[in-house]
Amino acid sequence: MTSRKTSENAILLSPMVAFLLAILGFPVVLSLVYGFSETTFQTLTSPSFSGLENFRDVMNDAAFWKAAWFSLKFGVITATLQCVLGLAIAVYLAPLVRQHGWTVAILIIPMIVAPAMMGLMYRLVLHEFAGPIPHYFYSWLGWSPSFLGPANVFSTVVVAETLQWTPFAFLLFLTAYNQIPTEMKEAAAVDGTRPWRRFLKIEFPLMVPTVFVALFIRFIDGFRVFDNIYTLVGAGPGGATTSMSIYIYETFLRRGEIGKAMAAAILLFLAAFLLLTLAQRLVGRRAS
Amino acid sequence: MKARMWTRWVVFIVVAVVINFPVIATLVTAFKSPGEVSRNPSLWIEAPTLENFAVVLTISDRLNIYHYLWNSVSAAVIGSVLPVIVAFPVAWVMVRRGVGRGLLFPLVVNLRALPLIIFAIPLYMMYAAIGLLDTRFGLGLILAVVNLPLSLMLLANAVADIPLELEEAARMDGARLPRLLFKVVLPLCRPALITTFIFGFITGWNEFLFGLMMTSRDAVPVTVGASFFFATSGGGVQWGVAAAVMIIAALPPLLLGLIMYRRITGSMVAGAVKG
Repeated sequence: MTSRKTSENAILLSPMVAFLLAILGFPVVLSLVYGFSETTFQTLTSPSFSGLENFRDVMNDAAFWKAAWFSLKFGVITATLQCVLGLAIAVYLAPLVRQHGWTVAILIIPMIVAPAMMGLMYRLVLHEFAGPIPHYFYSWLGWSPSFLGPANVFSTVVVAETLQWTPFAFLLFLTAYNQIPTEMKEAAAVDGTRPWRRFLKIEFPLMVPTVFVALFIRFIDGFRVFDNIYTLVGAGPGGATTSMSIYIYETFLRRGEIGKAMAAAILLFLAAFLLLTLAQRLVGRRAS
Repeated sequence: MKARMWTRWVVFIVVAVVINFPVIATLVTAFKSPGEVSRNPSLWIEAPTLENFAVVLTISDRLNIYHYLWNSVSAAVIGSVLPVIVAFPVAWVMVRRGVGRGLLFPLVVNLRALPLIIFAIPLYMMYAAIGLLDTRFGLGLILAVVNLPLSLMLLANAVADIPLELEEAARMDGARLPRLLFKVVLPLCRPALITTFIFGFITGWNEFLFGLMMTSRDAVPVTVGASFFFATSGGGVQWGVAAAVMIIAALPPLLLGLIMYRRITGSMVAGAVKG
């Protein structure tokens, strides 16, 4: 009986395990091989072992640290902005959404558009001759900032990312807000508690776990950003918008420094792994 | 209360217009003639025309939108069906027998949080070696990995929601495991299967990084193909045409998403909260 169950379990698990081994296990081996060797696209099949050289190259590359700093800053700022805006919109619009469910569909449109496509759309919207935004700046204010110039490009990509993904935070907060028992809200309302106080004292504390989840997810997504920045400005003027993902991509395909790109990817993986373990420890501690 | 609702409508409209502004502006531009685009960048169309769409949909050798769309459809279908197939039995064995909870599940779910670029380079090398570069099948396989975590989570939720008594009753009737899985559990999971498929299709369609790296000509998906229209000829970008391309490329996920928005939002929230 038990042995039949064991073999049944093995059969049920095997397709996924095989799939994971083939498509991820093998590449992991490859990254270790190439991360520790010197390779170019010309010598792809004969990597020569070079120890920690690639890692040293990466660590000594100012552009790597600049990209890491960009991603960190970008992730923190966009996650914070999205959560603040998403929370405000969710709480304020909750009564409207309850009566007219379709309004949610309108607000999640940005999330269903490919980030790459959104980046291209911003290219049109911000274009100095064809774009409506500079147009309205000029006709209403007689002046328009250069949105993609070195001085403003960071703010521009932050705003673009924030506007596209605030709906995600909004959705999470809306769900959390609607799960707060109505009796609690009503009791506070009967007590005559002002809406603001009610929100701060009763509703917000109940939503704190959701705030952490939303911040974490949005930070991760912001940190690994590629698509929308790449299609909007690429690496940016003077590399101003080179995120970690863009740095690795460019090192690999543009400059053909395979070992170095792989070493950077391994470092990125270690950082992500550390962060995930830490976050799960924290969640685990809170739960217990 | 009535008065308050009025201000909420105003806020809703402002938020909707601001976050959807690029989409609105692109839609407007797509219906302007080339002459009008260069003369009138406002949101007002003087003489609406379908000219840009006609240009896009007229096959040209260099930029063939049908080819890109077909590539996106096939890769996204592979990328959304395959995870369902491999994740369904695992979801059941995990929920009902507790197998794979300790290692496999956290491993797969955490994949979601890793930067995709980490896998992109070794996968590129592997694909180059086995001839999967620039193929729809190869791209579809990668999209399947991208979709696997959420598929597993959604299916595990669905299996957990099936009353145990139903499965036990089938067992009593003498149903063996394959019969139980495919005749009892699978039909009961149908809503979740559909949601998982739709969600995976949209994610796969919208994916860009792997499309950019793994394809060059034969399997270029429409997210990457659309950016080609921005780099055309020496005369600068034809904004009307580019806008029409973006509308066409964004339409399939948008329609699916708007029709199924309840399922989509539900699974987004479920995926976030359980992870």
